[in-house]
Amino acid sequence: MSQINRVKGGLIDRSTPMNFTFNGKSMQGFAGDTLASALLANGQRLVGRSFKYHRPRGIFSAGSEEPNALVQLRSGAHQEPNTRATVAELFDGLTATSQNHRGSLEFDLMALTDYASPFLSAGFYYKTFMWPKALWEKFYEPVIRSSAGLGRLSMDEDPDIYDKGFLHCDLLVIGAGPSGISAALAAGRSGARVILADEDFAPGGRLNAETLEVDGMSGADWATQALAELAAMDNVQIMTRTTIYGSYDHGVYGALERCTDHLASSNGKPRQILWRIYSKRAVLAAGSTERPIAFGNNDRPGVMLAGAVRTYVNRFGATPGQQVAVFTNNDDGWRTAADLAAKGVNVTAIIDSRDKPAVCDVPGARHIRNAAVRDTAGRKGLKSVTLTDDQIIDCDCLAVSGGWNPNVHLTCHQRGRPEWRDDISAFVPGGTLPVGMAVAGAANGALTLGAALAEGRAIANQQIKDLGFTASRKAAPKAEDEAFECSPMWHVGESIKRAWLDLQNDVTVKDVKLSHREGFRSVELLKRYTTLGMATDQGKTANIPALAVMAECTGKTIPETGTTIFRPPYTPVPLGALGGRARGHDFRPTRLTPSHEWAKANGASFVTVGNWMRAEWYTRPGEKGWRDSVDREALNTRTNVGICDVTTLGKIDVQGKDAAEFLNKVYSNAFAKLAVGKVRYGLMLREDGICYDDGTTARMSENHFVMTTTTANAVLVFRRLEFARQCLWPNMDVHLISTTDGWAQFAVAGPKSRDLLRKIVDEDTDLSNEGFPFMGCAEVTVCGGTPARLFRISFSGELAFEIAVPARFGNSMMEVLNKAGEEFGAAPYGTEALGVMRIEKGHVTANELNGQTTAQNIGLGMMVSQKKECIGNVLSQRPEMVGDDLRLMGFRPVDHSLDVIAGSHFITKGDEANMANDQGWMTSTAWSPNLGHSIGLGFIKRGNERIGEVVRAVSPVHGKEMEVEIVSAHFIDPEGERLRG
Amino acid sequence: MIINHPLLGPRDAAEFIYLGDASLIDRPDWQAEDAAAKFYEYGYLRDNPAGQHQELWYHEQGDRSWLVVTRNTLTHEITKVELARDVARTRGRDK
Amino acid sequence: MADYTLTATPPLAGVDRSFGDLSLKAPADLALVSIALPLGAEDKVLKAIKTAYGAELPDAGKSVLSKDGTVRLVRLGADQAMVIFTHATPDAEPTVQAKLKGTAYTTDQTDVWVGLELSGPTSRDALHRICPLDIHPDAFAVNDSARTVMEHLGTLLIRTGDDTYLLLSASSSAKSFLHAMETSAQNIS
Repeated sequence: MSQINRVKGGLIDRSTPMNFTFNGKSMQGFAGDTLASALLANGQRLVGRSFKYHRPRGIFSAGSEEPNALVQLRSGAHQEPNTRATVAELFDGLTATSQNHRGSLEFDLMALTDYASPFLSAGFYYKTFMWPKALWEKFYEPVIRSSAGLGRLSMDEDPDIYDKGFLHCDLLVIGAGPSGISAALAAGRSGARVILADEDFAPGGRLNAETLEVDGMSGADWATQALAELAAMDNVQIMTRTTIYGSYDHGVYGALERCTDHLASSNGKPRQILWRIYSKRAVLAAGSTERPIAFGNNDRPGVMLAGAVRTYVNRFGATPGQQVAVFTNNDDGWRTAADLAAKGVNVTAIIDSRDKPAVCDVPGARHIRNAAVRDTAGRKGLKSVTLTDDQIIDCDCLAVSGGWNPNVHLTCHQRGRPEWRDDISAFVPGGTLPVGMAVAGAANGALTLGAALAEGRAIANQQIKDLGFTASRKAAPKAEDEAFECSPMWHVGESIKRAWLDLQNDVTVKDVKLSHREGFRSVELLKRYTTLGMATDQGKTANIPALAVMAECTGKTIPETGTTIFRPPYTPVPLGALGGRARGHDFRPTRLTPSHEWAKANGASFVTVGNWMRAEWYTRPGEKGWRDSVDREALNTRTNVGICDVTTLGKIDVQGKDAAEFLNKVYSNAFAKLAVGKVRYGLMLREDGICYDDGTTARMSENHFVMTTTTANAVLVFRRLEFARQCLWPNMDVHLISTTDGWAQFAVAGPKSRDLLRKIVDEDTDLSNEGFPFMGCAEVTVCGGTPARLFRISFSGELAFEIAVPARFGNSMMEVLNKAGEEFGAAPYGTEALGVMRIEKGHVTANELNGQTTAQNIGLGMMVSQKKECIGNVLSQRPEMVGDDLRLMGFRPVDHSLDVIAGSHFITKGDEANMANDQGWMTSTAWSPNLGHSIGLGFIKRGNERIGEVVRAVSPVHGKEMEVEIVSAHFIDPEGERLRG
Repeated sequence: MIINHPLLGPRDAAEFIYLGDASLIDRPDWQAEDAAAKFYEYGYLRDNPAGQHQELWYHEQGDRSWLVVTRNTLTHEITKVELARDVARTRGRDK
Repeated sequence: MADYTLTATPPLAGVDRSFGDLSLKAPADLALVSIALPLGAEDKVLKAIKTAYGAELPDAGKSVLSKDGTVRLVRLGADQAMVIFTHATPDAEPTVQAKLKGTAYTTDQTDVWVGLELSGPTSRDALHRICPLDIHPDAFAVNDSARTVMEHLGTLLIRTGDDTYLLLSASSSAKSFLHAMETSAQNIS
């Protein structure tokens, strides 16, 4: 097919042809075309099937408001469904296919749905498929899903990359039409930092689509010249192919820039960028959208918006038809007729609903006054229209104009509520606009060119004056104000056939009337009942006519009926763009321990703990499963010496004259009198008395402490400490800084740990039990002078130390410790063996400190001091908490061959297993290689008085139960002789 | 939202962590006769105004200052931002 | 004589890459020491800083070079600052402590952070992809500094030259940080 519908002129580059295919058919367009304009140029009127009834549909508009012409672009993994052909920029090699049909586009098997339409009225889902209920999931829903709907996903991972970004400006101008360009010129000339954003690839807005003149030249030429002036200004950034899709608090706007959608390949660069724009002020110059008039069979390919027809002829040099009729209720529709005629297109008739003389002279066209279209004919494309007086007019395109609606969308994203203006029969921005936003031009109801240009300049000047800039004296560009008088008409009452309001959702005038009859009369209910205004176009052409019909039904005015308001996004934003770079491994940052490389080279398997990756165990040759490795590591640590990277624990440097007193307030136990060179276990409570976090804190010098927190709570504890320091005790001299990442810290645990450390720690440190007793700490040097911190603390229950070196030495330290430890049988251990050993010792972690338990519950009630001011101690004394008799205990299966199950609930023997008889639950379990059987920790009522009792451990989730004996939580070395040795 | 930090100027709310009512500064006297009741109120009872609200925000991804932000919960208008430490001092936190 | 020696392997050591006219490199031997101003004795610290470095500690959000140009002092907040200099051995903190004659609380931050220097005429374009701050040359002048969050990573940004920025972020997530910076440089055309 050749470009049979090309007419002269336009902003396309005829020297750069672009080959593309539509449903496999090869076609050609030109640089500067959209897919829609190229299809029209090639005479392709039928481009898709409708959502519900599979009716043949064509191109309806020339912009982002398009409800009909949804196509799939590209192929393979790059395939993108539901793209509006009217905004898809043509490129050489583009492949496009129509969607929502079975069989070919011309002979859609699903078109039979249309004959079933009496049964598929609004709300049919709710009524028809309610019974039998069982069929919904298996039958109705799958069938509806496959027959209704739009395009198809490729089901492959999106191969494109996306990015995000941040921009700042004094003034954001949204839309580069006449008022937007005029606003940007004014602000740019004053020196303000301006961003001018436009969704089109060719800025200019309606200037590119009209034949109107500005400053004595064509509108398009004026736009080109003005944009060149703006582009030359350092303080102005022009962003084309960029949609400002949302207005957020305090002048923040969301923008989607389509960087490579107009290219055959992204070449490894981001396809789209989601920008967050911080503006001090904004001018919304989003223009207006033409609205249709509903009449019978008004959805045939060839029935289009009049302004869009004008756009195709003037901007793209492509006429949507060879024989065009115009149906209008306003003066603006006449310009379509005039522009078509000027391009030599045959205009058969101008059907004006008003009883008004001709607005202008259109050669060859009949002027039919006081009439309307009530029906159309042509199965896959328009052939004729029937008027209310029954006369039939042949035409292959009907340009319909029902007036223009200001694009108020972004004004509503916060608290704005549009207001009705009778003089233009449209809603204009109203209520409270987003902070810093002002509206100019057609978006503000200034629907004529001269007014839009002047308003753009005036509003921008006002905005920048607020910011302290001096407005430029240069006058506003000059243009005539065209005629625009409009006499509202929403639908043609004489129509017998279905008259479509929402083409994308197949909502008709009848559906709105039905909604009214059934009581869904508020606009919000109307929308949900009929699906009006949903999906990709968000009802940009449908909403106002539909609510006008509802107003007619209720006998109220349109403003009384109200309007739905708009939420972001203005046009669809791909999920890929919202995700940006955050995919796969880049979803969040990864934190590595200092010994990560060594661990990787030595068989470690890693577990994710928050953002950290920690070694969970180190597999050795011959080990068949993780248990082999973990058992070996735990046994070896208790027999010889084990080494574990514990860097992930939070480390907080606490300094100041009041540091000791401060710690006394944030820990529930006493800290004020901790001696220099000593470490103490500390328990933090929440203010409500529940346990929050635990750890050790070492006093390095009089005014210097080093606190550790659990890995998971490192950030939260820091935040709480800052709160305590700044908000609760603001006059204390205490300073906090995190050093978590600064020190590589290793637990060196086991009977031979001291022997190993003697080879590492420089000789001047006395490591004997007397010289460096349990809970001692010191700043030492290792390996010939490297500064280090040594703590004698134990999580495993063995004689143990933790040694910290500057993180840069961490990997080397891990290697050195293992090498020096060879003669003692040293081996690294991971988080699993760590867990086994802490359960063997009855030490609590997050399983026990789960945000519900008290110090009493974990057997540390005595630690909570009532003799000092500290967080949580007052409320910890509430009777409900003091009276809570759950105690942390150890549990072992009576039958040692069984594995206890975490989450089991305890039931006294002989009692029925129900909630009323619940005695507590198992929090942590492990296989103890040191004891040779499974063990568990758990909370049980009066546990401290029940040692030796056998209870049922019931796990309904697993359908299992067993008898367990209540024992001390300290399975190994309950007296703590090993760690003090 | 943008919070105009008293020392650092306007910053995106994404840099901050929200805590809640600034009445959390007014921690009761632990030695008072009615300390238990007072702490109960401090811990659990809050006003939830539709309008002006003084609230605590923490500049975690910034200078780590706690701020008292006066914000209208209906419009998100922020009328005042103070360092919480200064507020705590003026409210008589003496330690 | 010790039998074992430790080798330093800072996470980003040796990173030096170019992307068109952009360069991204990890400065060698970057030493960082935080200083906290004791409550009520702030003036003593300010005086000690002046004596030690020949420069006044600036306001929060600003930095200044020492008189001899070898040390950068960054004011992070009301009572906290950072001293940045080049120093190879793991004793940066005692060095600063000695210079300030014990007037301030000091903490070694050298291994807490990693640094990347981004420079080139399009450095701001790259930063626009991850940095929420207004980095317009007038809004963020040479020597200005700010802590913010980039790609979920807490980052301290310092403008050290017309088109040169020093960025510091946590050392444990150094590789994610490098990746974020490289991606930003890569993505700008």
